[in-house]
Amino acid sequence: MSRRQLLVYGAAVAGSGFGCASDRSGATEDATLSFLQFYSPGGEVPAQAQWFADMVDEWNASKRRQIELEYVPVSEYVNGVKLAVSFASGQAPDLFILSPGDFLRYYNGGALADLTPYISTEAKADFPASVVASRMVDGRIFAVPMEVEPMAIFYSIEAFEEAGLDERDIPETWDELLEIAGKLTNSKRFGVLFETTPGYYQNFTWYPFMWQGGGEIQSPDGKSAFESEATIQALRFWQDAVAMGVAPRQPLGRGGGDVVANLASGYCAMQNTGVWAVAQMADGAPEFPYGVFRLPVPEGGSYVTVGGGWAFVANARSENLDEAASFIAWALASMTDDSVGRIAQWCTVAKSNMPPRQSVVEAAHRAYDEGKLGVFSRDIYPGTRGEPRLPPAAYKIVSDAIQATQLGGADPTTAAAAAARQLDAFLAGYSGAPIL
Amino acid sequence: MTRLSGKHREWLAGYLFVLPDALGLALFIALPAAMALFVSVYSFDAFGSFTFVGATHYRRMLVDPLFWTSLRVTVTFAVTLVPLLYVTGLGLALLVQRTNLYNAIMRSMLFAPQMVSLVVIGLVWQLLVVDKIGILPQMLVAVGIEPVSFLGDPRFALLTVTLVCIWFLMGFYMLVFLGGLHDIPQEYYEAAQLDGAGRIARFWYITLPLLRPTSFFVLLVSTVSAVAGAHAFDLVYVMTKGGPANATSLLMMYIYQQAFQFGDFGYASAMSAVLVAMLAVLSGLFFLLTRGGRFQYA
Repeated sequence: MSRRQLLVYGAAVAGSGFGCASDRSGATEDATLSFLQFYSPGGEVPAQAQWFADMVDEWNASKRRQIELEYVPVSEYVNGVKLAVSFASGQAPDLFILSPGDFLRYYNGGALADLTPYISTEAKADFPASVVASRMVDGRIFAVPMEVEPMAIFYSIEAFEEAGLDERDIPETWDELLEIAGKLTNSKRFGVLFETTPGYYQNFTWYPFMWQGGGEIQSPDGKSAFESEATIQALRFWQDAVAMGVAPRQPLGRGGGDVVANLASGYCAMQNTGVWAVAQMADGAPEFPYGVFRLPVPEGGSYVTVGGGWAFVANARSENLDEAASFIAWALASMTDDSVGRIAQWCTVAKSNMPPRQSVVEAAHRAYDEGKLGVFSRDIYPGTRGEPRLPPAAYKIVSDAIQATQLGGADPTTAAAAAARQLDAFLAGYSGAPIL
Repeated sequence: MTRLSGKHREWLAGYLFVLPDALGLALFIALPAAMALFVSVYSFDAFGSFTFVGATHYRRMLVDPLFWTSLRVTVTFAVTLVPLLYVTGLGLALLVQRTNLYNAIMRSMLFAPQMVSLVVIGLVWQLLVVDKIGILPQMLVAVGIEPVSFLGDPRFALLTVTLVCIWFLMGFYMLVFLGGLHDIPQEYYEAAQLDGAGRIARFWYITLPLLRPTSFFVLLVSTVSAVAGAHAFDLVYVMTKGGPANATSLLMMYIYQQAFQFGDFGYASAMSAVLVAMLAVLSGLFFLLTRGGRFQYA
């Protein structure tokens, strides 16, 4: 056994206490490709699992190399061991989905296949640069986005009315948001909810508040830019919301991204969450009256929100790489009506999202002209900045700063300075793809 | 064919009885532990990229503030959990040791949490203590106490997880102590009573000394479980994810994050090796202080 094999098997065996990788197909002529994701039948929104099933059925009906969907609960997918251990044991799926927050970990590990040769020039141009930038390295595309998910504030119309407020009171600044949240807070309800659980998602939801004042994680010269007034005020803003008692220290359900468990349950009157919440509400609380408005800004700041979203990726070590990459191009990055319609179906019917392609905007313009998606399309989406991609160590440094100030009561200036020192130390030795 | 002597047959039978367990331990504990030690001297990112780095990961631990934070959290957790678990386990066993219907029902109820998944228990307790609308915060308000955030405030989160862990485990340790109590001959109590010993004296001079083998087992197992995060990991993963502000980031949680969320298997393995070494020293101390677990009255 070679030293490499010994290490690979060693890590897999060492990790077996936490969980084991699933079986994978071999690389025979008729091998079935595995596609790992978290939209399972019986999941949160049935139409989303159905969309995946329909897509794969369509592919399987016309191709000899079949694709099989594999499911992992979303919490396990984001924070769990299955995907990580599957690579360590050499049994990774041929296809999986990835968020920008995890892109560098997999790209730097050489796990992502270059999809550029499989996508036509016309189709490449159909993806706005802001949408694919965080999925590209050196001009090559390594992940094809299926959605853009901008963050906003959802609010309960009933809670507003109870507090004698209406649409004219929708806050436009941070100070106004805290003031309105105070009016909406009572013995059973918090005025506003920001994510409090540490993790990639919490960082994702906090970035726009940092950007609104001009803050950045990294400066153009490659050093940390975290110790800035903009960063400090964003840390203080979330800290103030908790300290004033208008925001909870703990969300309900699956966390700050779960609008039914928090807003619709009456736990909070306003919730900082993303466009996917429109579909969540339609499915989980269709009768609940709510509105949505764009993120307020600090005094002197300018509007910006963050747009996350998952993307299809192919395992670079897959022995079925050609088929896996072809599938992604066929499903999401072809100029055929089917491909465009598939994304439109995903973004406007199965899961409420903004589209990652210009042609989908045009094909589904009706959906984006009305209702909540109309609000997103007109007021919220313009000004969206792609979710940053950070290596895990850098993510953790930012996460610790947010947690220390929001829930630990640390001084934002001190926390930002400490995080900046740690980031500088990390960046000095970092050698992977550019952090964006 | 030579027939084995009685002594040898007994010897063989003993080893055959031990063999399945020994094989399981070797395959699922010893082998992964040895491999983890091997991986700990490599920079290994789980994607096949590896470089020999010697003691780099061990040196990194010395200057990694999160490692020390996690170690502090783990020690605090163990120092709080073990004595409380001992007292509650023994106390409950004393309360329900007489055999009657009421005690049988109570024992079943106290042991019942053991039959439920820790994930479910974590979720249920999360709802019971959630800010503002949880039952516990509402009870505090009802008696005029300012409600606290049990899981969202770093001052209370670890204590909350510890208490939930005790609630979950105390039924199991109650059963262990019940076994120990039933092994104490009743004659000792009767003799002491004739000599005029009261309840406290009987407990202090008979029960506690004769429970030393059981106490040794309870203290050893609960300490090793606490340091290794055997049950607490599940609760922390479900209830707090190591937050707020790393207040519940047990060493096992940090190892998990490094390995499976950050992909740094080498560093995670090095921390695991240190954890195993700590447990070995701790267990060794227990055996040393008790002369190999042998007791005068055992």
